Amino acid sequence: MNIYEVLETLFEQKLNLIEGLNSELYLPLDESGLEKVLNVMNENSFELISLFCVEDFAEKGFTLFYAFEITGFEQTLIFQYALNANQAPSIAKTFPSACWYEREITDGFGIEFQGAFDTRRLFLHETYPKDFHPLLKSFKNGPIETAPPSEQNDYVFKQVEGDGVYQIPVGPVHAGIIEPGHFRFSVIGEAIFNLEVRLFYKHRGLEKLAEGMAPQDCVRIAESISGDETVANAVAYCIAVEKICGLSIPKRALQLRTVLMELERVYSHLGDLAGMCVDVAYPVGASPFFILREEIFRHNEALTGSRFMKDTFAVGGLTKDVPAGALQNLSVYLKGFPDRFGVATAIDNSYFSVIDRFETTGRVKPEILWPLHITGPVARASGKRTDTRIDHPYGMYGELKLKQKTQTNGDVFARFNLKAAEVLDSIKIIQKIMSELASGEVFAPFQIRDGYVLSMVEAPRGQNVHWVNIKNGLVDRYKVRTASFCNWQAMEHAVLGNIVPDFPLINKSMNLSYAGTDM
Amino acid sequence: MDYLALIAYGILNMLFVLLISPLFISLIKIVKAHAQKRKGPPLLQTYRNLAKLLKKETVYSSNSSWIMRATPLVNVAAILVASLFVPMIIIPQPTDLVGNIILFLYLLAMAKFFMALSGLDAGSTFGGMGSSREMAISALIEPVVIVVFAAMAFAFKTINLPDMFRDALASNVLIDPVIILISISLFIIIIVESARVPVDNPETHLELTMIHEAMILEQSGKNLAMMELSSAMKQLLLMGVLINILVPWGLTADFTPQAILISLGAFLLKAVILAVIIGLFESSCAKSRLFRLPGLFAIALFLAIITLIIEVFA
Repeated sequence: MNIYEVLETLFEQKLNLIEGLNSELYLPLDESGLEKVLNVMNENSFELISLFCVEDFAEKGFTLFYAFEITGFEQTLIFQYALNANQAPSIAKTFPSACWYEREITDGFGIEFQGAFDTRRLFLHETYPKDFHPLLKSFKNGPIETAPPSEQNDYVFKQVEGDGVYQIPVGPVHAGIIEPGHFRFSVIGEAIFNLEVRLFYKHRGLEKLAEGMAPQDCVRIAESISGDETVANAVAYCIAVEKICGLSIPKRALQLRTVLMELERVYSHLGDLAGMCVDVAYPVGASPFFILREEIFRHNEALTGSRFMKDTFAVGGLTKDVPAGALQNLSVYLKGFPDRFGVATAIDNSYFSVIDRFETTGRVKPEILWPLHITGPVARASGKRTDTRIDHPYGMYGELKLKQKTQTNGDVFARFNLKAAEVLDSIKIIQKIMSELASGEVFAPFQIRDGYVLSMVEAPRGQNVHWVNIKNGLVDRYKVRTASFCNWQAMEHAVLGNIVPDFPLINKSMNLSYAGTDM
Repeated sequence: MDYLALIAYGILNMLFVLLISPLFISLIKIVKAHAQKRKGPPLLQTYRNLAKLLKKETVYSSNSSWIMRATPLVNVAAILVASLFVPMIIIPQPTDLVGNIILFLYLLAMAKFFMALSGLDAGSTFGGMGSSREMAISALIEPVVIVVFAAMAFAFKTINLPDMFRDALASNVLIDPVIILISISLFIIIIVESARVPVDNPETHLELTMIHEAMILEQSGKNLAMMELSSAMKQLLLMGVLINILVPWGLTADFTPQAILISLGAFLLKAVILAVIIGLFESSCAKSRLFRLPGLFAIALFLAIITLIIEVFA
């Protein structure tokens, strides 16, 4: 059965599906239609991968887009629901992952969700003015006066009361050089039985900033979303615009993009592996990973002129070809990599004191994977078969025939082992592509067209979703949802029953991005 | 004359501990850094840090009381007095005035007690967390320390530390098995009391995992310098106990410059070796889970009890 038949059997009716430009299917619905299809999606455990709002889409006030993954199909299904007023029904009770999306939309557009269980603000903290909704087209980007914090505009944390219960507030300013985030623990002694994470301390307004930009220039916004996901986000954005423009880029550019994406995964995972060792106070085990990571950074710099590979990607291919010598050096370097990496992982896998800290710590239980759309290594370490490279192939991944790797325990040790395995897989992918690297141009000229598209990539942290709408040759709406936006919520569940001193380790093993969540 | 020598001993021993102890903090850091293929700080870095802190302004939380102000002084004072009990290079003449092991332990306990109070005093979360963890660990390690020191007292038939060292020095036996058992216990006590891996991590920036560091998180300026200095001194004192019981060779009872120089050189050499061992030990394991720590303490307790049984019944 193809997806059309599957969907029509599911919904028991003829569907008015609109084919998107990147094998996504749009289905416009009214309120009763939406309720019906959402029930079907819920019964079949299809995952909500994003929910976002667009103003003036097809000249109709606000339109909500509910994007779903259909298990077993490359296509994504997106319900389009045009609102009549500034109100919409909340679906957070059936799809818990919708909670943050709905709050995000309320902040950005002022849309009220009826029946929502959590109506607190999300990315605009309480000190912002009441009627301030920056994503409205009527709002022009500029400075905004915030009110000083007071008791009236205080954020209300979930209160847990009982004998011996106390709260530990941590952050947003931390002792290390990390991004801001507030963690409110409710503990009895050392055992955590509730954690509430409050983020969004450094909202940059990237989505608003993108609006009105020329699509070619907006790549720089995409790569600034999160410094260590530069490649993933830049490529996701470029793919989106290329799909809209009906452009296929030169083979060499496609291959080099894949090499750089996998290099990003390698250095990101190396950083995590090192970080996990540091957080159990075993820096001797961390240093081999740090050394390898630094070497990869230097290769990145030789290849692209930037350790984080900024300013490298362009709509149509790459901004510049990589130097031949740097490629040669990388290929020589990678030959010795697996052995050295093997020695590094063997150190940590042979120390009982390290394994003892990793095992059973911070379990992400399978039952939260679907409702919260947990993605990336965090999900795979808990046994979820998910990888955007395999489920929704993009770039070269369709031909590469990757094998799914998973772990079952879902604890820190599972994430450690999974990431270690993924590093070696990425190295193999890079080597394979470099052995058959095409010659020629790395950039294809193109004409900007209008249109909208959903593009997804597997960033080191998991699935990143980009939705781009080009209107009159300019970016009209750019919506990004990174893997961290979903996975932060997994942490609130993973820490339960663990002790406070194990929290930093659990946090590190999940490698969540603050910037990637707060655009 | 006796008293004059005693006073000279006291001043020299105190000054020695005060001036030399920061050296071993840096040294252990250097050893650990090399284990990680890093270079580590210069040997004199801890002195520079202390000098920098002494010049800085001291900031007090508006919630804090006199405890916050008194704690650094109490700590330095208690540890300095305790340093009179542990002869590092010269053993004073036998006298009842110095060396009582029980008083020594109580001085250390007093310093710790005030440190834990000051952790609570500023009203910050981490301070309180550190204090509660430190007290939980203390409740477990202190009985162990007492049993270990009791074992020592039985082994040397005295509760006076300088007398123990004199006995150890006079002993004809090169290595006494009982002393080895006690030394292992003492080594574990050094690790615990100087807040090292696997008990605590002196290098971490992660507030939620801290024990000792969390308690002094609210200290600043010269108060912080005093806290750092007193932990360095405490570490050296415990190292001194271990060294002068296990390998007292070179230790002298004579007040001649030559003997003192030899003793000084011998002590520094032994302390450097011990610091390297501590650094390597720390590098060889990850920090233990908080609730698994009693296992480590139990080893020390077990060995001390064996010693007691041997000494009492053999």
